[in-house]
Parts: sequence; structure tokens; C-alpha cells
Amino acid sequence: MSEGARRVLLALALAVLAVAAWRVAGALPMFGSATPYGQAVNALIPDARGVSNMVAAVNFDVRGIDTVGEEAMLVAAIVGAVVLLRGSRGEGTTDRAVRVPGRALEPRADATALVCRIGAVVTLVFGLYMALHGTVTPGGGFQGGAVVASGLLLVYLGDGYPPWRRLVPGPLFGVVEAGGALAFVAAALWPLAHGDAALANRLRPGEWKDLYSGGLMVVSNLAVAAAVAGSFALLLLEVMEETREVQSGEDDAAEEPPQ
Amino acid sequence: MSLLPWLVAAWLIGVGVAGLATSRNIVHMVGCLSVCQSATYVLLLGIGFRAHAGPPIFYDHPPGTPAVDPVTQALVLTDIVVGAAVSALLLVIALQVFKRRHTLDPRHLRPLRPDA
Amino acid sequence: MTPLVAAMLLLTAIAGTLVVLAREPLGQVFALAANGLVLALLFAVLQAPDVALSEIAVGAAILPLLFLVALAAIAVERAKK
Repeated sequence: MSEGARRVLLALALAVLAVAAWRVAGALPMFGSATPYGQAVNALIPDARGVSNMVAAVNFDVRGIDTVGEEAMLVAAIVGAVVLLRGSRGEGTTDRAVRVPGRALEPRADATALVCRIGAVVTLVFGLYMALHGTVTPGGGFQGGAVVASGLLLVYLGDGYPPWRRLVPGPLFGVVEAGGALAFVAAALWPLAHGDAALANRLRPGEWKDLYSGGLMVVSNLAVAAAVAGSFALLLLEVMEETREVQSGEDDAAEEPPQ
Repeated sequence: MSLLPWLVAAWLIGVGVAGLATSRNIVHMVGCLSVCQSATYVLLLGIGFRAHAGPPIFYDHPPGTPAVDPVTQALVLTDIVVGAAVSALLLVIALQVFKRRHTLDPRHLRPLRPDA
Repeated sequence: MTPLVAAMLLLTAIAGTLVVLAREPLGQVFALAANGLVLALLFAVLQAPDVALSEIAVGAAILPLLFLVALAAIAVERAKK
């Protein structure tokens, strides 16, 4: 398609979108008014399930099967990305950084490394806390897993690639990711073996505001945390591997600050 | 005034589509797609918002205090994480395209043409 | 609607527009990170702490870094040629 025709088509599409958006905006409920399903969840779930975080209750109980599907999408996207990368590169890994000729490598300041190390520990602990208390306070498997993965990033930012590569075991993440996804599916299927609906909450509901509250939700929450943290860590590892030199004979001190 | 959230959502998806259509770089297109996606967050959270209500977490407030809709929040929550994974997949595909065709410009890509 | 909510919504629209207008991918990465931060603030204002936590980890840290690493990998490929 020529450039001009493309722009005309875009203008037409945007005009249709503008009219449609204006009409839909007029028909939607007033901003700030209460919605029926959400208010029903807020009214019923605290007593029915004994958890204080309604968002986690919706994700892992009310629409639990939906979340299993989303989890499968996450795992499929990550596996697709990893297969694409390894398909052209092979499974071999190296901890040597490639050097783009003519670019100076600035060594990291000690202060950067220190701040990143402290930040990484704090972030990892906060991520674990969020994942564990998902059914009680804001947080849960999805957020906790993502925060844990971003904590691992700080290790890379502070210490450079070779130490990161030594510290972070690649194959482990594949196991954590797949294990988490498998545990979630197993938690969904287990009630079926007892003649219940999938993800039916067959465990003891636990104490209100306690670390263990919500029964089966605790299991699926932790499974999602493992799957999300493993997924993002594996993805970062594999994408960064693309920027690494595979040939031998390169100087691997490129990223190390001079002693 | 109360139409503002819906208009912002429509604006975000419109501006993202315009960016996708006029983009000259497939990495830039992935960024435009994430703008389109943020329109869905604004729309869903806007629908779930309730005036003069707290978050749907009954830790500090007892159950029964007015709270916003947790259902739309749960939708957005999983959407963000899964959307990031899909964006990563698209970035990896962009990288493979560059390795094979040595270009990031979508105008130079003809899917059915044998390797140039 | 409180003025704070309205201001955050307008800021979100501006941040999203800037992501599209940043034509250089390297510059877009920073616009994208800023957009993630603005979205997280908007979610906090809309009483969605769960979503804000998710967005701040994914939108302001992980996704921009993935963009940066992908651009670095493309630069490495370009240098190999």
C-alpha cells in the first residue's frame, strides 16, 4: 500500500473510532458510580472465603479458571521467546560480554554497586513478602513475582554481567517457571478428582488477616508467584545472552571495574 | 467532565494506532502497542472506580466499608503481567527479523518474499 | 471527580502520546518507563494498590529493560556485519 493511501485509511479509521468512542462514552455508567459485580464480591467474599484482599480472591477463586488460562498465556509467550532465541543461538551460554568496537567502557562506581546490592536485597525481600501476603494485604503472586524479577535486575545493574551470571542459575528458572505453572494446574485439577468443580476451595479457610487465609488460594498464589518470577528471570537471562560474545579469545574483563 | 476517563482511554488507543500505522521501526511499534494496551487499563479501572470509596482490601477497614470494584482490578492486574510477556515475545521476534533481513523498517519487509 | 483524578488522567494521556512521538527507539524506552510510572500513580489514585504494584515493577522496570537489552542485541548484530 502506498504511503498516501495508508494515511487516508488511518484518518478514516481514527474518525470511525472517534465517533464510536464518543457514543460509547455517553452510554457507559457515570464515572464514580458503583458496579454490581464488584459490590457483590465486596459484600460476600470476606465471609465466604475469609480473605481480606478482594483482588486476590477474584483472581484465585472467583475467576480462578480464567487466571489458569492467563498463566498458560504467560508461559506460552515466554517459552516462545526462549525457543526463538535458543533456536538461532543454541543452548550454550557464556559470561563474556561483547565489545562494540570504538566504544569506551565506563567502570561502575563503588557507590553504584553498593546501592544496587542493598536495593536488590530489599527488593527481593519485599517481593517475597508481597507474594506471601497476597491474600491479606496488597500484593500477590503476579506482583510479587514481578518485583522479585526486578530485584534480580538490580544485581545485574550493580555488578555487571559476569557476577550476575555466576549468581543466577539459568536452569533453575526453567524449573521454577514450569513447576509454578504445573502446581497451579494441579491445584485446579485436584478438586475434580474429588467430584468437585475445578479450583473448588477444599482446604481449611484459615484465620482472617492471617498469613494462611483463603485455603487453596494460598497454594495457587504461591504457584503463580513462582511461575511469574521464573518466567521473567528466564526471559531476561536469555535476551541478555544475545548481547554476549560466543567466540572464545575475547577478554572477559570488559565489564569488570579495574581493581 | 465525567466523560474524561473514557475520552482519555479512546485517545490512548487512537494515538497508539496512529503510531503503529506511521511507525518506521518495529521496536518502536512494540512500544506503541503497549500504549494501546494502557487504554484498556484506564477504561477498566475507570469503570470500576467508585467515588468516596477505599481500596478493595479490608485490612485496615472492616468489611462493609465502601470499596471500589475488585473485579476490574483483577482483570487489569493479570493483563499487565501477561501483556509484558507478549511484548517480550514481540521484541524477540523483532530481533529475529533484524538478524534475517538486516532491517527494522516495516516498509522493507515483505512476508512472502524469499530472503533478500 | 476530584481534581487529582482529572490531573492524573490528563497526565496519562500526555505520557502515552509522548511514547508514540518518541520516534527513536532508545528515547522511547525512557518515555515508556515514564509512562509506566505515571500509570502506576494513576492506579494508586484510583484506589488500586494491587494494580499499581504490578505496573511499577513491570511497566517501569522490567519492560524498559527488555527494550534496552533488545536494542543492545540489535546493535551487536549491526556491529557484526
